[in-house]
Amino acid sequence: MTRTLVFMGFILFLFTAVVAFSNTEPGTDELERLDTSAFEKPQRPGAVFGHDDHNEMAGIEDCDVCHHVYDGKNRVEGESSEDSPCSECHSLKANPENLISLSVAYHKRCRNCHFETNKGPVLCGECHIK
Amino acid sequence: MNAFIAFIMGPMVWIAFLIFILGLIFKLVVIIKDVNARESYVYSYLSVKYSLRSIFAWLIPFFPQSTRQSPVFYAISYIFHLLLFIVPVFLMSHIVLVNEAFQLSWFALDDTLADILTVIVVLALVFFAVRRQTVPEVKYLTSFNDYVLLIIVALPFITGFLAYHQFFFYRQMVIAHVISGELVLILIPFSKFSHMVMAPLTRAYMGSEFGNVRHAKDW
Repeated sequence: MTRTLVFMGFILFLFTAVVAFSNTEPGTDELERLDTSAFEKPQRPGAVFGHDDHNEMAGIEDCDVCHHVYDGKNRVEGESSEDSPCSECHSLKANPENLISLSVAYHKRCRNCHFETNKGPVLCGECHIK
Repeated sequence: MNAFIAFIMGPMVWIAFLIFILGLIFKLVVIIKDVNARESYVYSYLSVKYSLRSIFAWLIPFFPQSTRQSPVFYAISYIFHLLLFIVPVFLMSHIVLVNEAFQLSWFALDDTLADILTVIVVLALVFFAVRRQTVPEVKYLTSFNDYVLLIIVALPFITGFLAYHQFFFYRQMVIAHVISGELVLILIPFSKFSHMVMAPLTRAYMGSEFGNVRHAKDW
C-alpha cells in the first residue's frame, strides 16, 4: 500500500516537473500563423501555416484548390478567389446559404488533404501549436 | 501514421460506440434472463411506483441517510459522476469533431474551465484510490481489478489534459487519448462500469422490496 502511494506520488512529481520545464519553447511566436481576427473569442492560437513554403513542399500549383469559387452547389471551373477573404462566403456559423462555416472549411480543407496524401498534420495541436 | 489516426478517429469510434450500446443491451438481456431463471418471485412485488420512488430519492444529493453519513465521499462522488459526462460532452474540441462529421453543434465549455474540471476528475479518482486503501470496509471489498478500472477511467482525462497543453509527445498523447477513450466505452458493458445502467435496476429491486413488502423507505 505504502509502495503504491509512493509510486503514485512519484508519477505526480514527474508530471509536475515536466510541466514546469516544458512551456518555455522559444521561437513558436515567430511562426507564420493564420489570422484569427474573424473569431470573437478564439480558444486556440491560429494554425501555423506558411503559405508559400507549404505549397512548394506539397507541390500545389493550382490556387483554386483552396481559393475556389462556388455558384450555389457547383464549383466554377477556372475561377479563383485569391482577392476575397474566406470569411466572405464561409461565415462564422453555418447558414442555409453556406453550410460550411469558416472553421469547418479550414479544418476540412487542410485535414482531409493531409489524410488523403498521408502527409502533414491532422491533429488539433499539430496546427494550433501553443 | 495518418492512416492509423484516420482509423482510430473514424471507424474505431463507430466500433467502440456499437460495442458500448449493443453490449449494454446484451448485458440487460442477460440479467433479465438470469432473474427470470433464478429469482422470478421478484416480479410478485416489483412495482413501478416504488421503483421510481427509490430511483428519484437516490438521485437527490444527500437525500438518502447513508449519503449524509459519508458527506465527503458522496460530495466527491456526485461531482465526479457529473463531470465524467459534462467535461467530454461539452468539450469544444469534441464538439468541433462532431460538428464536422454531422453538422451538429451545442454549447461548449470554455477551454480553461474544462481544463480545471479535468484536473478535478483526476483528483477525484486519486481520492477513490486512496479511499480503497484506507477505509477498512472498502479495502476488504477491493481487488486489484478496481485499481485497474480507476486507472482506465483516468487515462482519457490525463492524456487529454497533457495533449491539450502540448507538453510532450503530442501525437502519441492524442493517439493514447483516443484509444483510451474508446477503451472505456468498450469496457462499460463488461465491467463494473455497467453500473451506469444497472444502478437503476438495483434501486428498482430495493425500492420495491422496501416499499411493497416491508412498507418502509429505502433511503
